[in-house]
Amino acid sequence: MKFFFLILKNLRRNLLRSTLTVLGTIALVVVVTLVWSILAFLDEVTAEKKSNLKAIVSERWQFPSQMPFAYADTLTEGAAREETDVRPLDNMTWQFIGATLDPKNAAHSERVFAFAMDPNKLRTMMDDLDHLPADQAAELDKAIAAMNENRQGAIFGKEWLAILNKRVGDRFTLYGRNYRGIDLEIEVVGTFPPGGRYDKTIVIHRDYLNNAIDGWPRDHGGQKHPLAEKRLNLVWLKVPDTAAYTRMANQIQSSPFYATPSVKCETSSSGIASFLDAYRDMIWGMRWLLAPACLVSLSLVISNAISISVRERRQELAVMKVLGFRPIQILVLVLGESLLLGVGAGFASAALTWYGINELLGGLKFPIAFFPSFLISRDALWWGPLVGGLAALLGSFLPAWNACQVKVSEVFAKVA
Amino acid sequence: MVGVHKYFRRGSERIDVLNGLNLEVTEGEYFGLMGPSGSGKTTLLNLIAGLDRPSEGEVWIGGNCISRMSESQLARWRTRNVGFVFQFYHLLPVLSAFENVELPLLLLPMTGAERRQQVENALELVGLQDRMRHRPGQLSGGQQQRVGIARAIVTDPTLVVADEPTGDLDAKSAEEILDLLEELRTGLEKTIIIVTHDPRAARRCDRVLRLDKGRVADGSILLEEHG
Repeated sequence: MKFFFLILKNLRRNLLRSTLTVLGTIALVVVVTLVWSILAFLDEVTAEKKSNLKAIVSERWQFPSQMPFAYADTLTEGAAREETDVRPLDNMTWQFIGATLDPKNAAHSERVFAFAMDPNKLRTMMDDLDHLPADQAAELDKAIAAMNENRQGAIFGKEWLAILNKRVGDRFTLYGRNYRGIDLEIEVVGTFPPGGRYDKTIVIHRDYLNNAIDGWPRDHGGQKHPLAEKRLNLVWLKVPDTAAYTRMANQIQSSPFYATPSVKCETSSSGIASFLDAYRDMIWGMRWLLAPACLVSLSLVISNAISISVRERRQELAVMKVLGFRPIQILVLVLGESLLLGVGAGFASAALTWYGINELLGGLKFPIAFFPSFLISRDALWWGPLVGGLAALLGSFLPAWNACQVKVSEVFAKVA
Repeated sequence: MVGVHKYFRRGSERIDVLNGLNLEVTEGEYFGLMGPSGSGKTTLLNLIAGLDRPSEGEVWIGGNCISRMSESQLARWRTRNVGFVFQFYHLLPVLSAFENVELPLLLLPMTGAERRQQVENALELVGLQDRMRHRPGQLSGGQQQRVGIARAIVTDPTLVVADEPTGDLDAKSAEEILDLLEELRTGLEKTIIIVTHDPRAARRCDRVLRLDKGRVADGSILLEEHG
């Protein structure tokens, strides 16, 4: 602690250099924080849970999965046939809807992608919606109640509303693009909590879609809609543990009911991991090239600044040795300077990134798979200082070693 | 100092700086080292102050053979036993006069209050109690050298070594510094070893050793009248 003021004084010696080094560190830690936040999120969603896990049932051989809705009744029971069979704790069906607001001009801004599902499952099955703050939970519950009252009701993510320039209470028509000829008159009855993964999500009532598809033959000479038997895209099942999951997956995959098309059952994490396989190279590059390259650059930036500082201060370091400073104390002083710089800049960087991305921008818009944006993990507040500190220690070790090896007699011989 | 040799190697060439020097300085003595450039004065001073080790021979100070100490032991020994005054002051520019003088005390087990008291005493002794918060850049050469002397004595060492302490000063400031060093010797009973080219400084010494090419020059050691 006695040396702390010395470290501070030395950092203030050349304020321009210290400031530039801090700015360089901040810039690089920002990149590392962004990359690690994305990777941490993807790691979390692809990590296998041990309990309370979700199984995803989808068509085995086709992507996107398209199953008959008739599968839903038994799949939502986990294909249980016997009393002793495992049944899921909860379930949810997913139907994907591609639509446009203007059938004659399907410009990008007019195209929307929505899910048709049972709104009552939103709060029990959707990640993050089961533990909302009280005010957000109340608002979402109100919107779900409105959807139950009015089957044409829809809940929108805030970003979609902004893109479409719509507000809660607006009514408009979604013209089906995959469900061609199915036009859905919807009313925005509420929004998802802002700043999360649901900013670009639209949910409409599955009964409204299914009634529209079932009513199609009335106006088309008794002919079914082409997707009538392909309208169930996914089924989510919640199970208590991996043992229950294994038994239930076996029940589903061995059931003769799901022969044409056949289905597969996987955990949500492995399902997401399979989906992310398409991004494998990019994620690998982020993890093993981009982040390490930033760390190396960071070390070099700090190493350069500390090297210059040590070179300028060789005589001072020699004087300190004359006064009785031991090599280890000189080493600690120099490492302390870079550590303080790295940790301080790392924390500032992480805090700014966290606040800027989460609070000001509402998430990092970096669409991968079905994740449109990412939030900066609160853990970044300790990653940042750790990354800055470690890079600083690594980068400054060599200059610090040179500093503690200064030979007093050589330095003063040159002076005299 | 017994049979001290010091040589350096440049490639295969051996450069002898000190050649078999024997020297004894008594406690409380004001001892001068003179000689032309390259005669080995500063090297000898470095050996006495424990900043360097002899290639051969031994250096004993107050019953300790410092030439056998490790670098860390030497550093600890220097903190408590040697004060060093430089020709170019070598104060740390980012620190105030107070902080510069406090620097060696940071290495000793002392409380903040004890350090403050000792630093204030040292600065008062050199007449700079009203310049404690000034940085070196805000002080004249003579004042900087006074801070250097305060730093050298703040740990109350038995030995003060000074390498041309007046070499960078005007005549008036040089006289003041020489007066101050003499006060240290008489008032605080320090042993002072000074390297100098300045005859005025040499005249104040009890004894002066003249070096030439690493050996004691003819006619040395000179005994001179103090003052």
